[in-house]
Amino acid sequence: MFRSPWWRIGWRNLGRNRRRTLFTTGGLALGFCAVVVMGGLNRGLIAEMIGNGTGILDGQLQVHDSEYLPERSLYETIGGREGTDVERLVAAVAADPFVSASTPRVFAGGLVSSGDGTVAAALIGIDPAREPAVSTILSTLDEGRLPLPGANELIVGREMARQLSFAAGDEAVLVAPAADGSMGNDLFTVAGVFDTGLAELDRGLALLPIGALQRLIALPESRIHEIAARVEDPWHAPEVAARLAGPIAGSETEAEVSAWTTFRPEMVSYATMAEGVEWMLLVIVFVIAIFGVANTMLMATFERRHEFALLLALGTTPGVIVRSVLAEAVVLSTVSLVAGAVITAPILVWWHLAPPDMSWLYGGTTLAGGLMRPILRVEYPWLMIVEAAVALFLTAVLAALYPAWRSARVPPADTLTGR
Amino acid sequence: MSDRLRLLLRLAVRNIRTQTRRSILTGLAMVVGLGLLVMSRSMAEGGHEDWIEKGVRMGSGHVTLQAPGFAARRTLDYRLARDDLEAVRMALGDSSVAPAVHGYAVRLELAGLASSANAAVPVAIVAVEPERERRFSELPAKLVEGRYLVAEDGLHAFVGQQLLERLDLDVGSRLVLTAQDAEGEIAAQLVRVAGVFRSGVPETDQGVVHIPLSTARGWLRVEGSATSVAILLANSRAVGPATRRLERVLADRADRVAVLDWKEAMPALHAAVRLDDFADWVFHAITLAIVALAIVNTILMSVLHRTREFGVTRALGMSRADTGTQVMLEGLVLTSVSGLIGIGVGLGLTWLLFRNGLDFTFLFEQELEMAGVVFDPVIYPRFHVSQILWSLGFVFVIGVLSSLYPAYRATRIEVAEAMKFE
Repeated sequence: MFRSPWWRIGWRNLGRNRRRTLFTTGGLALGFCAVVVMGGLNRGLIAEMIGNGTGILDGQLQVHDSEYLPERSLYETIGGREGTDVERLVAAVAADPFVSASTPRVFAGGLVSSGDGTVAAALIGIDPAREPAVSTILSTLDEGRLPLPGANELIVGREMARQLSFAAGDEAVLVAPAADGSMGNDLFTVAGVFDTGLAELDRGLALLPIGALQRLIALPESRIHEIAARVEDPWHAPEVAARLAGPIAGSETEAEVSAWTTFRPEMVSYATMAEGVEWMLLVIVFVIAIFGVANTMLMATFERRHEFALLLALGTTPGVIVRSVLAEAVVLSTVSLVAGAVITAPILVWWHLAPPDMSWLYGGTTLAGGLMRPILRVEYPWLMIVEAAVALFLTAVLAALYPAWRSARVPPADTLTGR
Repeated sequence: MSDRLRLLLRLAVRNIRTQTRRSILTGLAMVVGLGLLVMSRSMAEGGHEDWIEKGVRMGSGHVTLQAPGFAARRTLDYRLARDDLEAVRMALGDSSVAPAVHGYAVRLELAGLASSANAAVPVAIVAVEPERERRFSELPAKLVEGRYLVAEDGLHAFVGQQLLERLDLDVGSRLVLTAQDAEGEIAAQLVRVAGVFRSGVPETDQGVVHIPLSTARGWLRVEGSATSVAILLANSRAVGPATRRLERVLADRADRVAVLDWKEAMPALHAAVRLDDFADWVFHAITLAIVALAIVNTILMSVLHRTREFGVTRALGMSRADTGTQVMLEGLVLTSVSGLIGIGVGLGLTWLLFRNGLDFTFLFEQELEMAGVVFDPVIYPRFHVSQILWSLGFVFVIGVLSSLYPAYRATRIEVAEAMKFE
């Protein structure tokens, strides 16, 4: 089949009217490029949403006591009231091949006061040494430094710092209901200020060393609420969660392992929807392209009706004529695909490596709870590239069917005797 | 000249009609492209309007009035005093403003801590006038248990479902709200859960508590004042004029009352709308570019086929300009006729959707939040004359752009060479 002369004839026919071929391939290549680049942007959008949604604070994987969610009660620490061997458990989570890091956390709610005012805040006890490997929130520090382990120091969000007129080095009073039924309160030093860009975190979150928070709310060191873990490819997280669920729970304590797909289901929902939209895009673009290609092929074959009549008169079967026109369409789509790849590749690579700043268009916003910065990186949409290539071939072949059928039915005698 | 133009136009129309099949195929691309444009613009505008309406009803209104500095500091130091509120009421009743205002809500908003025996959670406390709020906000309609606040309520609260879960409370249980009062003291207030809502926006369901304004005023020692007045207009198009008029009416109090529109008050929502709009336009630019390429190709082919014909007409006395004009007209007639049909098809489809909307439920497994608003998966189109003008503009631009090159080619035909053709 590949040695058939029709491929070469098809190629030559394309060369016979270069300008026409240029416009047709241009249309198909543009369609391919558009679909792939928009697919890439879509992937980028999803990656940005999931990356920020899980990466800033949550982590892709969380371990809690099975009673902890959804109430998030202070008392439901991992392993119950006795607590657990925190180091062993953190290490056990990190031992999974897909987990790159894990870190313990303690949660509480309380009031943060400065001389100027008081705000309510979510207090999270973190391990300043291990946290950066799991989440990015500590890297958004834009003033001061991280709190020292165990010290009575905290960092707060930019918005909270503004409301309380905090600067690094200022004193803060923390008040929080403690596990022993008392009201814990203590004097802290503001070590730094972070700025995530996500209003609810910047306004309502204070981070302090895990030991300091445990002291404040009267929890012993063995009692923590959460172990958060980082999974490099977020889509592996559900698999890891399923794998960890057994051994951790089995070893000593009753714990629940959940992936971000469980605690942020709206993000999965958005990703599914975005894929549906990609498909609609693909179909619409190529349906429109079909008209252009069909028209061109129709004209090209009409020009050559004498040639087809002669071939038929010489004994060529109509089937061969159909095949020859289809071969031309396949050659056309191959050329278009190469052209499409040539214009698409640099755009994708550039947009991936040096994503442009789109803040002229939109400021930061949120999508399904994930922060969207106005810098959008394109991710390579491998599946979309394959789908678009297939769609391009299908478009060309579908568009060639009618012209091919007409060419095969040229009446030889009438055509050859003239008009 | 006009006779000449008429003649050229007739020639052009005839040429289009002789090549019926080709014209139809080319036209179809245009019909699909324009039909999509008209339909998707009206859907996008409808979706955005719904989105904005939900956002402003949930949040601070199309336009919000507050003390300058409140947006940044969000403390009671920046509040609207009794006489400011009186001035605002007067302004809203002003003849230049009143017709545009569909409703307003006076609120006292403050960050605080909600605690039960089980937990303490930071919340946004919104003190409201229950009857006004019921007409203004979407939240009362999101009731899942109990009831919304009523005018006679005192120590009652309307609480998000997730917040209630975290506090491990039920309807009827008590919780303590703690916040800083106007004198800077920490003050606590005991309230009873009257009702529970579920909006689908996690932040709201985890952290919003409505209490009666009268209760908050006593508790926080701010008799007669509030932090913001949220104003609802007919639609987002009315925002610009209404903002300007309010600014004018309240000009003598500019240092006490600031006028913010929803774009300033809710930048995330504005960004989301802009982003969505941008993606929509990029998509149309691409499909229309593909349509334009197909049309260039068709017209160009028809020009190159008719080299001999153009040679003959030129020999009979048509100028280069005439030949170019004829081709130009062919392109314009073809694109405008098919473009108008496309617009018609788009409008027809849009019209069909006015009653029931287009249901995108199949794409959503869950409620989807964007910029703090839950999408309604059923989108109703919204028609505006500007959409038609835009579409007509596109038809014209595509027609001109795709006829230019073929027309130029047609003027380049040499009479003597052309007669030898075929």
